[in-house]
Amino acid sequence: MSDSALRIRGLRKAFPKVVAVDGVDLEVARGEVFGLLGPNGAGKTTTLEIIEGLTTADAGDIEILGLNWKQQGRDIRSRIGVQLQSTSLFNKITPREALELYGSYYPKCRSAKELLELVQLEDKADAYHVTLSGGQQQRLALALALVNDPELVFLDEPTTGLDPQARRSLWEVVRHIKAEGRTVMLTTHYMDEAEALCDRLAIMDHGKVIATGTPASLIADLAIPSVVELTFEGGAPEPSPFASRLGQAVERRADLWEIPTPDPKALLPRLLESAEAEAIPFHQVHIRRATLEDVFLHRTGRSLRE
Amino acid sequence: MLLWRQFAMEWRLYSRDRAALFWTMAFPVLLLLGFGTMFRDSAGLGLKVVRVVPASPLPRDAALDQAMTDLQLKVVRLSKAEAEAQWSQGETAAQVEPDGDGYRLRLNSYLTAQAGAAAGLVNQAWLVAQARLNGSPDPQRIPAQVESPGHKRATNYASFLLPGLLGLNLVSMGLFSVGMVNVAYREKGKFRRLAVTPLPKWVFLLGQVIHRLTVTVLQAAILLLVGRLVFGIQNQGSLANLLLVMTLGTGCFMAFGFALSSFADTSEGYAAISNLVFLPLMLLSGVYFTLDAAPAWLQHAVATLPLAPFIKALRAVFNDGAGLSGHGAGLAIVAAWGVAAFLLAVRRFRWA
Repeated sequence: MSDSALRIRGLRKAFPKVVAVDGVDLEVARGEVFGLLGPNGAGKTTTLEIIEGLTTADAGDIEILGLNWKQQGRDIRSRIGVQLQSTSLFNKITPREALELYGSYYPKCRSAKELLELVQLEDKADAYHVTLSGGQQQRLALALALVNDPELVFLDEPTTGLDPQARRSLWEVVRHIKAEGRTVMLTTHYMDEAEALCDRLAIMDHGKVIATGTPASLIADLAIPSVVELTFEGGAPEPSPFASRLGQAVERRADLWEIPTPDPKALLPRLLESAEAEAIPFHQVHIRRATLEDVFLHRTGRSLRE
Repeated sequence: MLLWRQFAMEWRLYSRDRAALFWTMAFPVLLLLGFGTMFRDSAGLGLKVVRVVPASPLPRDAALDQAMTDLQLKVVRLSKAEAEAQWSQGETAAQVEPDGDGYRLRLNSYLTAQAGAAAGLVNQAWLVAQARLNGSPDPQRIPAQVESPGHKRATNYASFLLPGLLGLNLVSMGLFSVGMVNVAYREKGKFRRLAVTPLPKWVFLLGQVIHRLTVTVLQAAILLLVGRLVFGIQNQGSLANLLLVMTLGTGCFMAFGFALSSFADTSEGYAAISNLVFLPLMLLSGVYFTLDAAPAWLQHAVATLPLAPFIKALRAVFNDGAGLSGHGAGLAIVAAWGVAAFLLAVRRFRWA
């Protein structure tokens, strides 16, 4: 048995107006939580849908649990679990019925009761799907992805559109799935989610993988472990005169300046001095650790949220 | 202004659904071109009447034939035996035969519009013939009798109507409701989640066909029950035969519906495509009126379509209490179309 759950080489998919996936190579090890991080439109979902067998690629090889789609499609479908970006079920099916129905499609299936408990939907077990809240529908979709006791689980933007509390509870379920020894591949455009959940991740932009590694190594590779932020009340001013006096790059965001630095302790006195000299009306100074957001910004010159 | 914007936006969105736009605009044109070409060379009404030729023709026979021809009736002269064979095939709308001193008209209960029109002309011709022969001061009319090809006499016209209506309902349920629902669900992404499971397409489709089939048969049973309670219309044949014919026909047209649904991306597109199939099927089937005016090749082509054998078997069982032995070939056509359509449907089925 191969120790990779998934191995992808040269994956490519073009739509009439855009190349959605442009030569993606990925390898996911068994038992890890692997994230595809990137802004909307980066090609994450298309990549995932090709791997799940929903879309056909123009080119590239996929080996999934040691199998390939051409000859072993049914086998693959039996052994993977999928949560689509939006799961549209029949309005008047109940979570219990949906789990029992979908479970019946597989050679091996878990009990509806156990899954409902896992995603905390016991009290909605017999409610019509249409009456569930967005978070409850997402949790049901997650339970459906686990119904066949899969070795490899795909979650496409599992927490998009959820409130913070619902996101946390979904994260707990994902950690539980990993603890059960399953491999998880998820997409997200939330860097905090990627940092909190993923053992390793690939950052995608414009259909390409621009960096791969553990969240910690990606940040460490930046060689700028810290960022000093100056916040302003009511919009940050143009930073270039200040930046040239400081002799350091300054990024302007809506209401703050960001100054990446390997050594905030050395920077701080010079920074305050320059601010004094330029009469910068800043409100507060923060020093924070660099995040995946900074990695993305550094690699693409753009923010994840844009 | 507000209304104008709403109107303009409706048009803009509508025109973006190219398939629906194309079929909606092209459909009537195609229908016109198709039927126009088929019937271009036929003159007049093409009303046909079968004339049973007497063993020893009298002068009045010649006079009647002449008068009918003058009135542009298409007179098909057949011996008694030949006429009988054609009548029982259900292909004769009206038949005039010698009866004692005069004549008798036999009108097909399923083709009453054509039969009625033909009967009117035959009577007119007979009046003309009588006048020509003896300037008759007391002209006679030809008595007419409405009969089904199975020789069941019409006591209650509704009873003849019922199997035709029922059949049409089963066909339209198959073609429209099932295919439409299928396209609408696909459009809304209701099947996408199934695409990542190992559920085979044919199981999914056959499950839907069987479900719809039971719904439709239940619906038919209610219709038949109401027909019986309110109008006293009874099924003359065996219930098993009736059920078999209904199931076979409905299954066939449902498979049609599924197969057609794979050609449409949107519900609007499906409405157009299914009409494109349904209307010609109905108009050309020969079960609601005959295609006497159509060229021979078309009549042969139409004979291979599944609607006519289905309706004919349904009528034979229901109204005439006939067995299915005479309908084996017809039902085989229905079954063959059904299986072919189902295989095409499975082959072309898309989850999303």
